[in-house]
Amino acid sequence: MENQQIPTESSSLDNFFNISFDEATRGQVRKAAQWARICALCTFIGYGVSLIVTIFGKQTALPESEEGIHVSSAYRAGTIFGSLLVVAIGVWVYYFLYRFATSATKGMDAMDSMTTNEGFDSLRRFFKIVSILLIIGLSLVALVVLFNLFR
Amino acid sequence: MENNQQESFLQMNLDYDGGNILRETVRWSRFLSIVGIIVLSLCLLLFILAGKYLIPAVSRMVPGIESMENVAGALIMVVILVFVAIFGFLVYMLYRFSVLTRKGIEHQDQAVFAEGMKCLKLYFLVSGILAVLSLLSNLLSLTKLF
Repeated sequence: MENQQIPTESSSLDNFFNISFDEATRGQVRKAAQWARICALCTFIGYGVSLIVTIFGKQTALPESEEGIHVSSAYRAGTIFGSLLVVAIGVWVYYFLYRFATSATKGMDAMDSMTTNEGFDSLRRFFKIVSILLIIGLSLVALVVLFNLFR
Repeated sequence: MENNQQESFLQMNLDYDGGNILRETVRWSRFLSIVGIIVLSLCLLLFILAGKYLIPAVSRMVPGIESMENVAGALIMVVILVFVAIFGFLVYMLYRFSVLTRKGIEHQDQAVFAEGMKCLKLYFLVSGILAVLSLLSNLLSLTKLF
């Protein structure tokens, strides 16, 4: 009994309990969530506006020929489809930021760890998706540059 | 004693799940900030290398700017510097958030953890202001439509 070793290092489970969201930290998270909400809402409205501009925007002058009209309408359909795709991905990504803003504010106000964790989980997903999209985008740019260099 | 109890009652502790989620969040945000720093540096390098081709390219978009040759160069330089400063600050804040929050959790340092959260606030503050400005420019393009 006397030889029994007492663990000197606390487990990682215990370690987390020493960090707390005190009044000052809660204020910082609340402000961060508030600005994140503004950021997400502005992005949603911006996407709506850009969709309106793409769909109802001034059409390019169509050449008189039948072929010209055909090409232009196909180009227009492609532009609208591309915009819809970009907006759909953007809304999906920024929805996580909006969820972070909502859950973090709720969690901080109600001092609820579970809601706060949900909020930070949404932030984690937001950063993860943005990072993956950034990698895809940069890879495409690198491919285009390489293609143009060796053409 | 009673005061201490009241203080701890007013605080919300970071639990095991929350700690793990924050660690993962911080990992992705650090990756994002490092990629951001690299992209920003490449952009700056590209602007420096393409300096002499920049004025003719801009003059095509803004007619009349080529007539004021010296002013145009300075103007473009200022715009680029402002762009780099804003995005540099944004990326730096994201990096600081990831580093400080991780350090705060690992070393059980409340002050460092709070500093990390302050950086997150600053990051979203600048992002929010940029989002509002971008929305205003979008709305401007809508007024041109009608």
